Amino acid sequence: MAREKIYQEEVFPSPFMQLWGIFRKTPVAMVGFCCFIFLITLAIFAPIISPYSPVESNLEMLLLPPAWHPDGNVSYLLGTDELGRDMLSRLMYGTSLTFGLSFIVVIFSLVIGVVIGSLSALTRGFKSSFLNHFLDVILSIPSLLLAIIIVAILGPGIGNTVWAIAIVFIPQFIHITRYAVKEEFRKDYVLASRLDGASNFRILYYSVFPNIVERLMSQATLAQSAAILDIATLGFLGLGAQIPLPEWGAILANGLEHFYIAPWTVYLPGLAILFAVVATNLVGEGIRHALKLRKEN
Amino acid sequence: MLTFTLRRLALFLFTMMVLTLLSFSLSFLFPGDTVINHSGQINATATDLAKLNEAYQMDKNIFHQYTAYLQHIIHGDFGQSMASQSPISNEIIELLPATIELSLVALLIAMLVGIPLGFIAAINHNKTSDNAILSLAMIGYSIPVFWLGLLAILLFSIGLGWLPSSGKISLLFEIEFVTGIQFIDILLSDSPYKWQAFNNASAHIILPACVIALAPATIFIRLSRAAMIEVLATSYIRAARAKGLNFQQIIFRHAIRNALIQIIRHVGLQFANLVTLAMVTEVIFSWPGIGRWLIESISQRDYTAIQSGLLALSCFIFIVHILTDFIYAALNPLARGNNHGS
Amino acid sequence: MNLLDIRNLSIALDTPTGRVLAVDRVSLSIKEGEFRGLVGESGSGKSLLAQAIIGVLQDKWHVDADRFHWRGIDLLRLTIDERRALLCRDIAMIFQEPMSCLDPTTLIGEQLSEAIDTSQLTGYFWQRRKQRKEAVIKLLHKVGIKKHSQCINSYPHQLTEAICQRVMIAIALAGRPILLIADEPTAAMESTNQGQIFRLLANLNQLKNMSILLISHDLENLTHWTSTITVMYSGQFVEAGSTEKIFNKPMHPYTRALVDSSTKANLQLPTKSRLMTLPGSIPILQHLPIGCRLGPRCPRAQQKCVSAPKVSNFHGHKVSCHYPLLRDAGKKEAVKHKTGKGIN
Repeated sequence: MAREKIYQEEVFPSPFMQLWGIFRKTPVAMVGFCCFIFLITLAIFAPIISPYSPVESNLEMLLLPPAWHPDGNVSYLLGTDELGRDMLSRLMYGTSLTFGLSFIVVIFSLVIGVVIGSLSALTRGFKSSFLNHFLDVILSIPSLLLAIIIVAILGPGIGNTVWAIAIVFIPQFIHITRYAVKEEFRKDYVLASRLDGASNFRILYYSVFPNIVERLMSQATLAQSAAILDIATLGFLGLGAQIPLPEWGAILANGLEHFYIAPWTVYLPGLAILFAVVATNLVGEGIRHALKLRKEN
Repeated sequence: MLTFTLRRLALFLFTMMVLTLLSFSLSFLFPGDTVINHSGQINATATDLAKLNEAYQMDKNIFHQYTAYLQHIIHGDFGQSMASQSPISNEIIELLPATIELSLVALLIAMLVGIPLGFIAAINHNKTSDNAILSLAMIGYSIPVFWLGLLAILLFSIGLGWLPSSGKISLLFEIEFVTGIQFIDILLSDSPYKWQAFNNASAHIILPACVIALAPATIFIRLSRAAMIEVLATSYIRAARAKGLNFQQIIFRHAIRNALIQIIRHVGLQFANLVTLAMVTEVIFSWPGIGRWLIESISQRDYTAIQSGLLALSCFIFIVHILTDFIYAALNPLARGNNHGS
Repeated sequence: MNLLDIRNLSIALDTPTGRVLAVDRVSLSIKEGEFRGLVGESGSGKSLLAQAIIGVLQDKWHVDADRFHWRGIDLLRLTIDERRALLCRDIAMIFQEPMSCLDPTTLIGEQLSEAIDTSQLTGYFWQRRKQRKEAVIKLLHKVGIKKHSQCINSYPHQLTEAICQRVMIAIALAGRPILLIADEPTAAMESTNQGQIFRLLANLNQLKNMSILLISHDLENLTHWTSTITVMYSGQFVEAGSTEKIFNKPMHPYTRALVDSSTKANLQLPTKSRLMTLPGSIPILQHLPIGCRLGPRCPRAQQKCVSAPKVSNFHGHKVSCHYPLLRDAGKKEAVKHKTGKGIN
């Protein structure tokens, strides 16, 4: 027989567990989180789950409507495009391209941006002011424009797109990290560590980072939704993924030619992009909402 | 106020320098001969090539080359477009005002729709209307702009037939080119069909402007909601309530002014975002602006055009940013003091 | 007649662990022309009480009372809007940090003229504007600001805290209130400015017969200016009575501790002896003791203190304690003149 709790013990969870607890209680955020996990599994396991190959064409089934349409075929659940390729498999492979690549790009830029940003936050005086203004200038150029320029230099292709977007997001993360680290440095607990004799690296790693990591996470979700949209836009403009890669923006651009006879080739990739971005945004909003509630408590 | 202006001017000059440096370095990064990337004359003969080398001081060191490039820019010589072999400055003068027109109209729509909605959401904080507005804002923020443009064309132009789907104005109207901004040109011209032209131009601009305005409007909703919630929680609003002012007076006289001040700073940042969306929308709606021209140049590998287009667009964005800074300083008495850094 | 008559007012907050009473059955009454002080540490709920009286509390607090009368009118029967309309005309409040209580983007002159009711301006439409301006200047002179033109044309951040507090008092006076509630008006000022503000309040009380409720955490300061004092601890009513009786014959152990910690009582301590304090600190909202909230810290606490004490009245001197310091009153006078021996 288990001993019942006689004394009311107060449990003090760590800040991260508090955040997770509040996050778990928000139903909308949990739905977003589940969709996010679903998309990640889809991105990883697409080659195994998808029914057909994304590039093989079945010339007998051109421009087949989705299965719920009277002309549709249930073995091609979401219809086919003008070359007879199954939309469902193309969309699944597209998940790993658009969604998966955006995830990798964001993590890459995050790591590099945080490292450079925290190191540059330690500088002072003229160097710091110069860097501030320089970053301001780069941030004032729209991210898509910069990505387009980099793609123009490197040439089209999905590899170059990924590099371009990574290079564009690094200044944003540098700026955010610099701002956050400078703000934390003004606080008294950092002063206390410094008086204890801690080196800069130690202060950064043990004192400052655990306090800014949640802010960075919410910024990373914002960056990821922007990355998904950017990769899709570049694919749509013809500068990103080249045919026959099933990236969502490229599928949409392909479907434009037969828009009137086969509108699902335009609707479906757009819906997929919308779904992925909404899931990411829900997770980001959930994190920010939980952060706000945790501060109030 | 004078020091503030001087600081902003210095920042502007610094930014121009960095931007020109960036476009200068692009000539080296793009494939092909540098001086041909500068000038755009791909069919240059040997003598022409020698003249170009002289003009851009290719034989001296890089600092001289940069100053030569700057001189060309200041005189308005952006080189020739590799695709059309016509001077780029002419094309920019024609196309940039169209983009300015479109983005300013979109910015206006985004602010007029987004800011009041955000205020309403903040006043009804934690009630159903607040949550509804926030959910709509999130969905609006997540829609890819090109998909939205296509759907809008499908629905409004083809399905309902209310609005035209491409171009700036119907080809029937001949409006003289004075400033390049359609509405001003129409009002300045003395054609007998002035008002019909005006209506036609408005019909053409509404759909692309609304498509562009959706994402920034949702960001404005979020910004204004946060600003208004912050203002409503301050001591002076509580003191005003204790003073006996009624709700309407408090909101309209005190809260909105303070909240707007917080929002104006972000307008400059949002504008860069907006111009990006405008570029993609111009492609979909065949709007003759600089965004569409830039994207076409990229597919055509027209390096000179890309450089100059980038320079022109970034300058424009930065000028708007500085203007909003000035407006912010004019409205907020606290910001006229000495602000170090940005 | 009693201007304000509050009996058993409670203010509750819903927390994840249940309903917490931030203010627990406090009674307060103010007569006409009275200068009352409300004393308590930070966290004792005195600001909450003041805000509940004037009606500017946020929606998360729930206010409940047995009796809440203003000049004979029962406020509990009115809706919140009617209550606020009635009270805003007759009660005015000034807050703690005056500079942040003024709109930073509006000129002071505009904020003052907003507070002036149009019913006070006689005359035709075109004369109103001039009259408003004159009324503003008169108000500023009333609170002691001589250079009114400089004040009217500046923003709040260009003035000092003391002048901002005077402007706040001027705004409060614009509505011709009968009761002025001052919520720690001098917390952000130096002592010279504090004296000026208190003198201004005392003038208003004497010359205009305005009742003033002055909230503070400094008992000694209050005893110079107020005629009656109410003491609160951790949201509960502790003691109320005339200033002289509270300071010289405190009946509640908490009031006694407050009086003992003032400088006057410590003047006769021998060198190198401990100052007299009550050990421990005020409980936080999450861990409120049941019954008398001073229980864990009180030196005279016994088993009975687990239930909340009732208010007992000794000739106008009200105490809320199971074991008030009655019998020690006479002995205490004698003890006061000798050297104190820590807590007794």
